[in-house]
Amino acid sequence: MEFVIVSYPTRRPVYVDGDLSGYTNEVLQMDAGTHKFTLAPPEDCDPIFCEIMVKGTTVLLPMKIAFIKKW
Amino acid sequence: MVGMSIRLGACMAVLAGALLLSGCGSFQVNPPLARYDPSSGYRFEKLEPGSNSDKLFVILVFSGGGTRAAALSYGVLEALRDTQIQWENRRISLLDEVDVISSISGGSFPAAYYALYGLRIFDEFPNRFLYRSIQSELIDSTLTPAGLLKLGGASFGRSDLAAEFYDREVFGAGTYAEVIARARRPFVILNATDMTTGTQFPFTQDQFDLLCSDLSGISLGRAAAASSAYPGGLTPLTFQSYAGKCGYRQPEWVDLAVRDHKSRINIRRAARAENRLSYTATEYSPRKYIHLTDGGVADNIGLREPLTAINSLNNSWSVLRLINQKKVDKLVVIVVNAGTNPTTRRDQTPEVPGLVDTLTAAAVVPLGNYSFDTLELLRQTVNEFNESMRLVSGCKELAVSKGPRCELDISVPHQIEFFPIEVAFEYIEAAAERNWFKNLPTTLELPRETVDKLRKVGQQILNEDPEFKRLMEALHGCTALAGQRC
Repeated sequence: MEFVIVSYPTRRPVYVDGDLSGYTNEVLQMDAGTHKFTLAPPEDCDPIFCEIMVKGTTVLLPMKIAFIKKW
Repeated sequence: MVGMSIRLGACMAVLAGALLLSGCGSFQVNPPLARYDPSSGYRFEKLEPGSNSDKLFVILVFSGGGTRAAALSYGVLEALRDTQIQWENRRISLLDEVDVISSISGGSFPAAYYALYGLRIFDEFPNRFLYRSIQSELIDSTLTPAGLLKLGGASFGRSDLAAEFYDREVFGAGTYAEVIARARRPFVILNATDMTTGTQFPFTQDQFDLLCSDLSGISLGRAAAASSAYPGGLTPLTFQSYAGKCGYRQPEWVDLAVRDHKSRINIRRAARAENRLSYTATEYSPRKYIHLTDGGVADNIGLREPLTAINSLNNSWSVLRLINQKKVDKLVVIVVNAGTNPTTRRDQTPEVPGLVDTLTAAAVVPLGNYSFDTLELLRQTVNEFNESMRLVSGCKELAVSKGPRCELDISVPHQIEFFPIEVAFEYIEAAAERNWFKNLPTTLELPRETVDKLRKVGQQILNEDPEFKRLMEALHGCTALAGQRC
């Protein structure tokens, strides 16, 4: 199992590989591999989406993926 | 006169041939899907949970094993119906909280019946299936002139006849359209095996999307026949593929997983993706027909699909997605495993085992070993979920022991309580009784008393399972013992 935190200034639904899979700023569990992360609309975040290989994480050291507010 | 006789004989032969050809059966063609629509069809997310809460997520798994498996699974369904729990300020039956049933072969009969008729199963299923000599009736229907004529067709096998029999005699010709119309959980997944890929083939719209076929037009009898097409005794069933004709799009993860293949990061995920692509490839040697055999060939427990749903986000009914959304607090997996271990006299003699004995061992032993590994995977999954929590609490305790300034603020994933429960003959305490059950044959007919014993022992093993007892404590449950209701 892999562990990821998708950060964003506010709470926003997180889509992993196109499916609603949790919320920003919380630890999400997923299987290893390349995943595509997007936030729910509005599209005011940067980047619009993030494709990244998730591997080698632990519950103590989750991968952090940062989205920032564009304006 | 002789010429006339020859002509008459020739005419008769042509007529008989024509009759034979017209009578020869062809498989019941599965309907095409006009247009891919992920918002319709038999899908987990389309079923109304109603009062069934996701917080308590219950998965039932029914293994293969003919009537033995069907009766054992039915006994567990009876036990769950009679088990009362306290949940969200309501006193309800544990059966009402079942979200998913995954089944194989013999276990697919009660699963399909419950999907189609709900609680009517408890009034009807024993007489419609369990107490019947299904195997003899199947043989009888094969040996009729109509049956023999149908079997003359190259695309019609004994399992096609069995499917017609199940439709007529067991499931009342019910189709998935009726299951969809019920729109209620549990989501029942009957599993067969794709002969070519050797992978599990679940009867869900997500799987039939790959063939551009509409599951709603398929009967439960045909699905159960595919799931229980025991190799040798029964033939595989044919399904037509219309891939490429309904505008289907693979889910996003498929392309990502295939790209990962070379990196070997998650080979299992890549293999699942490539398996999906094998159905939709239209350029090189497209698969026009899919041949399905017994679900037990790929996984005789029926647990692999639920394990993927628990461990991966990339599953049509991913439980992990629900866990990440904090929708699940307690995850219960009840495996009803009717696997046997018949006594053999092989080791009482120095004689070289015969060909049949050797081939049977070659076919059955790997299945047993694979089932063992499948159950181990479930235990590993439970350990993995628990391990991460133990690690976090261990670190926190260690930090606290160093003084208040060292207190750690660690974000943790949503924690669930996992209850892996297994109903299997090996957990019967009395050796003689255990051996008796472990020597029951795999057949579609058993004496009524044997069926009743299986129903009873299913309830008994469930109630004695340590994880089930823990669940009952957590839910202030009351189990029906000795036939007495709560």
